[in-house]
Amino acid sequence: MARALNAPRPARVRWGEGLPAEVDGEPVEAMRESWLVEDRWWDAHPLRRRYWELIGVRGRNIVVFHDLDTGRWYVQR
Amino acid sequence: MSPTPYVELHCHSAYSFLDGVSLPEELAGRAVELGHEALALTDHNSVSGSMELAQTAADYGLRAIHGAEIDLAGGRDDRAPGYQPRGRASDRPARPHVTLLVEDERGWRNLCRVLTIAHAHTRGNGSPPTRRELGEPSISAEAIAAHAEGLVCLTGCARRSVLGEQGEGGTSDPARGRTVRTLLEGFGPERLYVELQRPYARDDRARNRAFAAAARRLGLRTVASGDVHAHSASRAELQDAFVALRHRLTLDASEPLRRGNRSHVMTTPRAMASRFADHPEAVAETVVLADRLRFDLTKDLGYRYPGAEEDGASRRLAELCAVRLAERYGPRAPSAARARGSEAERRLREELQVIDKLGLAGFFLLHHEMLELAREVAVEVRGPGSVRALLAPGRGRGSSVSSLVCYLTGLSHIDPVENDLTLGRFLHEDLHGLPDIDLDFPRDIRERLIPRVHDRFGRDRAALVAAFPTYRVRGAVRELGKVLGLPPGEIERIARGADPWGPAAESGEVDFASGRHERDSAERDSDRRSSRWRWLRRLVEEAQGLPRHLSQHSGGMIIATRPLIDCCPVVPAAMEGRQMVHWDKDSCADAGFLKIDLLGLGMLSAVERCVEEVHRQKGERIDLSRIPFDDPETFRAIRAADTVGVFQIESRAQMQSLLRTRPRNLDDVTIQVAIVRPGPIQGGAVNPYIKRLQRLREDPGYQIPYDHPSLEPVLKETLGTIIFQDQVMQVAEAFAGFTPGEADGLRRAMSRKRSGEMLRRHRERFIEGAMRHSDAPLEVAERVWQMVEGFAGFGFPKAHSAAFGLLAYQSTWLRVHHGPEFLCALLNEQPMGFYAPDSLVHEAQNRDIAILGLDVNSSEVLCTVQNGAVRLGLGYVKGVAETEMHELVAERERGGRYRALGELAARSGCRRVTLEQLAWSGACDGLLPKESRSYGAHHRADRRTALWQLGMASPAQGIDQAAEPGREDAKAGAVASRKAGWQLALPFEEHAPPPLRELGRWQRLIADYSTSGVTIGDHAMAVLRPRLVAHRLVTSAQLARLPSGCEIALAGLVIARQRPGTANGTTFLLFEDEFGTVNLIVPRQVFERRRHLARAEPMLLARGRLERHQEGARRLGDGEVIEPDGEPIRPVINLLVSELEALERYVDGALDEHGDAGATVHALPRGPGETAVEEADGAEVGSSMRAVAPPIQSFARGRRR
Repeated sequence: MARALNAPRPARVRWGEGLPAEVDGEPVEAMRESWLVEDRWWDAHPLRRRYWELIGVRGRNIVVFHDLDTGRWYVQR
Repeated sequence: MSPTPYVELHCHSAYSFLDGVSLPEELAGRAVELGHEALALTDHNSVSGSMELAQTAADYGLRAIHGAEIDLAGGRDDRAPGYQPRGRASDRPARPHVTLLVEDERGWRNLCRVLTIAHAHTRGNGSPPTRRELGEPSISAEAIAAHAEGLVCLTGCARRSVLGEQGEGGTSDPARGRTVRTLLEGFGPERLYVELQRPYARDDRARNRAFAAAARRLGLRTVASGDVHAHSASRAELQDAFVALRHRLTLDASEPLRRGNRSHVMTTPRAMASRFADHPEAVAETVVLADRLRFDLTKDLGYRYPGAEEDGASRRLAELCAVRLAERYGPRAPSAARARGSEAERRLREELQVIDKLGLAGFFLLHHEMLELAREVAVEVRGPGSVRALLAPGRGRGSSVSSLVCYLTGLSHIDPVENDLTLGRFLHEDLHGLPDIDLDFPRDIRERLIPRVHDRFGRDRAALVAAFPTYRVRGAVRELGKVLGLPPGEIERIARGADPWGPAAESGEVDFASGRHERDSAERDSDRRSSRWRWLRRLVEEAQGLPRHLSQHSGGMIIATRPLIDCCPVVPAAMEGRQMVHWDKDSCADAGFLKIDLLGLGMLSAVERCVEEVHRQKGERIDLSRIPFDDPETFRAIRAADTVGVFQIESRAQMQSLLRTRPRNLDDVTIQVAIVRPGPIQGGAVNPYIKRLQRLREDPGYQIPYDHPSLEPVLKETLGTIIFQDQVMQVAEAFAGFTPGEADGLRRAMSRKRSGEMLRRHRERFIEGAMRHSDAPLEVAERVWQMVEGFAGFGFPKAHSAAFGLLAYQSTWLRVHHGPEFLCALLNEQPMGFYAPDSLVHEAQNRDIAILGLDVNSSEVLCTVQNGAVRLGLGYVKGVAETEMHELVAERERGGRYRALGELAARSGCRRVTLEQLAWSGACDGLLPKESRSYGAHHRADRRTALWQLGMASPAQGIDQAAEPGREDAKAGAVASRKAGWQLALPFEEHAPPPLRELGRWQRLIADYSTSGVTIGDHAMAVLRPRLVAHRLVTSAQLARLPSGCEIALAGLVIARQRPGTANGTTFLLFEDEFGTVNLIVPRQVFERRRHLARAEPMLLARGRLERHQEGARRLGDGEVIEPDGEPIRPVINLLVSELEALERYVDGALDEHGDAGATVHALPRGPGETAVEEADGAEVGSSMRAVAPPIQSFARGRRR
C-alpha cells in the first residue's frame, strides 16, 4: 500500500518552560530552531502548526509540532 | 507607564504594492492601540505613504519615522536601461535590500535623491513607443553611500539582507563583502546596523546568530525589526495572496515565496521584545536608534514655487490687471461691460489686497505664465492660420473662475462681476495653503504642454502629481480568483457581472456567485472549492480601496524653485517625456506644494474640431465667446432635453432633470450642471429645488420656505437648497458664524478621504455656532447641519458650474446650428461623453442627419462632413493598424481613386486581414463592377462578392528596411510605417464569382458591429421587430401616447447602465430601439434576480409599468401640456421594470427574410467572425449579438469628459 514519506506520527510531549521538555519519553537537551506554519488557509485543510527542532539527550535530532487547532502533538522525523 | 521596550523600524504599507496590505492610517491607528510610541514606514523603493503616515500619526499622537527599503543593484537582473528580465520573478536571483531611515532634513533630501536614482531607469522603451514599460527600481551601494548623510542604514530583511542568507557578506562572499564595505565607508559604524528579524521561519535562529557574529566582526551594532506587512490578523491572508499575485503564481504554487505564517502582522512592543529573547541588545537598540530619528515630515520641506518670494510680484500683477481691466471694462468695451466698470475696479482692489496679504501675487503670475506658455503651444498645435486660433488655448474650471484677477489674467473666461460669483471658496484672508486653479485644455494641446512645462521650469523642478488607482471589485475578483486557482471561466463570469465600482460587501457580488457556484457543482468536491469561493469574497473585500500601483494624476503639476527631488522623489511616468513625484494630490497639498491642474477635456477638443469643420465646410469663422447666449433655438433644445452628445447635460439623469427644470438662461444651466451630483442628491436638494422652481413659475408670488432667515441671502438663487459647494461655506458663515477660514476647513473636511473625525468636530462647532450666532433652536440647527452634511458627497462650486454650464451651452449651440459638423467632431474625439458612437449615430439619424458608410474611395481616416452628411472614417475599422489606413488614404491621394478590388489590394499596402475586414465592413462595396453587383440578383451580396474577389487578389509585398530582411513584422501591426517600399502585385483580371447568398439584414448588422462598432443601416430592433412576439409589446415611439401606469413590454438594445451609489441599489438602464431611447428603472429586487441579464446582456425585453410625468402650467384638451407661452412640454417617461428577460426568447422563427431560395447557395466566403449559420433564429440572434454588440456604457463614479 502506498504510504506518504515522512508523514507525521502522533507523539507524547511533556511541556517544559516555553518548549517541549520530553518527546516520547526522551528528555530534550537543547532547542535548535522553532518556527511557525500557518498556511493553506484557502484549502479545506488549513495548517496551523508550531514546530520545534530539538536535540534529545541521546543526541538525536527530533522535529515535533503542535497542531494549534487540535492541540495534538506530532513528531515528523 | 513604563517606557516602550521596542520600536518598530521596518514596516510596509500597501504602498509597497503587492507586498503590504494596510494603509498608513490603519498602521498608525493599530500601532497606537498596541502601545507603540513610534513607527517607521519603510515601503519598497517608495515614500508614497510617508505623508499620509506623518499626517495621521500626528493626529493619533504617534511619532512617525520615515524611510524606505531599497533594492540594491548589482544582481544579475541589472542590465542596461529598459532591460526586461525574462522568466518568472521567482526564478530570478533576489536582489539584496537595505533599509534606510531618515535622521534629519539632510537625510530626507538624500532619501529622495536615492529613490529618484533608483527609479531613473525604470521606464524602458515599450510599445507603442510613447508608452514605457515599468522596470524594477534599484540603485548601487556606491550611490547610496554617496548619499549617506542624515540617513541610517540597516542591512535589510531576513531573506534579502546584504549580508547574505547566513551572514557570508561579513566573511566569505567577496561581492557581498564589497557591498558591505562600501556601505560601511559611507555610513560609518555609527549609522550602519545589522538588522535582525524573527519571522518564525525554520532557519531564523541560526541566521540571527550568524548575523550577530558578522556584526561583531564588522564592529557594528545589531537592531531588531519586525518586517510588518499587515496592521491586523484579518489581512494576513491577503498578504499571502498578494505575494502569489506579485509572482504571478497561485497560492498553491507559491509556497517557497510566502512567509508561511502570520509573523508579519503588527503586534505589541512587548511581544516583539520577547520574540528576540536571544538578542536583547538588538531590541534595546530599536529604542535608542528611534530616539535619534527625529525628522518630522509635517515641518517645512523648503518647497517654494517660482515667484513665491519675488519682490515686485504684487506690483507686476497689479499692473497686468490694470491694463486688462481697461480693455475689458474701459471706454472701448461694450456698454454692458462699461456699466460694470466701477464695480469691477472695486472688486479688483479688494482681490489684490487679499492676494497681497496672503503673499500670492507670484502664484497668479506663475499661472499667467503657464497660460502664456499654453498659448505658444496652441499656435504650434493648431497651426497659425487655423480658425481654432480664435479660441483661448485653455480655460479655467473650479472655483478660480470666481476671481476677477483670474478673469483678467486669462485664467478664466467667465466675467465674475457679470455672473455675480463670490470669491470666498477660492480666496479669503485666512486661507491656509494655496488656492486651486484648474485649467482645461483640448487634449492635443495638453499633450504638448506638459513636456513643455518640464522644459521651461527645468526637469528637476517640474513634475506631475501621482495617483494611486485602488482595488475595485472587478480587478480584485480577476486577480485574486486566479491566485486562488479558481476556474478562469467562472472568475470572468463573476468579474463581468460585478458592479465595476460598487463595494463588494454591499452588492454581494462574490457571495451571489459563490452561492450559485456551490449549487452548480455540489457533486464535484464542492467542499474544497466552496471554501476557496468564500475566501475570494473575503479577500476581495479586504483588498477594496488599497492602492494598486503608482500612476499619474490626470494633470496636476508641481513646480518648484529648487530641485523637487530635495522634497520628494521624482520618477519617470509611463508616457515619454513625463515624470512625476511619489505623492498623490492630498500628500502634495499636505506638503504645501503648489499643484497646477492642466486637465485634458475631450469636449474642448471636440468643440475645436467642430469649429474647424464648420470653417472647412461653410467658410464660417465661429468665435464661441461671441455667439449669442440667449439663442431661443438652443434653449428650446435644452428644455426638450434634445442634448445627446453635448457637454454635461446629455446624460440620462441630466436629460430627465432638464424636462423638469426647463432652463431659460445661462444661470439656469449653471444650476443644472451642478444639480445632478452626489452632493445635492444626497443632501436632498434636488426635488425641493425643482418643486419650488415649478411653484414659482406658476405663481411668481410664491414664498420660498427657508429654515432660518439668515439662510435667505445665501440660498436665494437656489431656492433655499444647497446646490453649490460654496453654499456650504456660505451657510456655515451666515448661519453658524464660521470665519471664512473655518468654513473652508469644513469644505476640505467634506471633500477629503481622511476626514471622519474632523467632520465630527465641525458638527459640534456648527450646532453650537448656529444656536449662539443665529439664535436658532437646536432642531433647526440640526436640520441645517443635515443639509450641509448630506452635501458631503461631491458637488461643484458655483464658479465651476458656470464654466461648465457655458461649455454645455456652447456645445448645444453647435449641435443645434451645425449638427453634422458637431456629430463628426464627437465621433472623431471618442472615447468621451455618455454615449457610444453607435448611439450617437442612431440619434443623429433620428434627427435626419445623413450618415454615410465606410468607403475606401470616399472615407478619410477620420470622420468628415461631405455635402452636409457625415462620412464615417476608416479609423473606425476595428482590428487594423491606423498606419495602414493612413497609407491607404495617402496612396489614394497620390495615385487616384481605387478602381477595383485587385487594384486596392495591389496599391494600398494593406495586409490581407485588413483588406478582408474592409470588405466585410462594406467599405469596398463601391469597387465592385456594376454587373457583378447583380450576380446574387440582389445588391446585398456585395460584401460577400468583395470577399470572394479579394481572395483572388494579391496584396502588395512590402520591401523590408535593410536591417532585418524577412522579419515577421506583420503581427506588429505597424507594417506600413516600417516598410521601405512596396513591390506592387500585377492587378489580375477579376473573375465573376459564383452566385453568392445575399447578406441578410441581421447578418449585415452583425458585420457592421464586428468590423466598426457602428451600424448606419437598420437598427437591430427594426430587423427583429417583425419576428418579435410578446404580450403588450410596444415601441418607444408609442410611449408618449399610452396612459401612464399601464403595463407594457419593451424591447431594446441596452446602451447605458448606471448604478449610482446615491440610488440605494436601483439600477438605471437606457434602452434604444429604432425610434429612440427610453429610461428603465430597475429596482434592487429585480436587479438581484436578473443580475447577469442586467449587467451583461445587450438585448433585453423589459416588462413593467409605464410612468409618465408632465409638469407644467397648462394642460390642453388633448392632454398636451404647455408652458404659458405655448411651448409644449415633453413628458418625463420611465419604465418601472418588474421583469427582465433575454430578448432572444421572444424572437419567433428564422430571421432571414431575404434568403434567396432560388439561387445555388454557397456557404463561402464567410466574413471574419461570421458563424456558419445562415439563417438566424432566436438563439443565434442572441449569441451573435453578444459577441459584437457595442460596449454598454457603464457609469457610476467618473467618466471621461
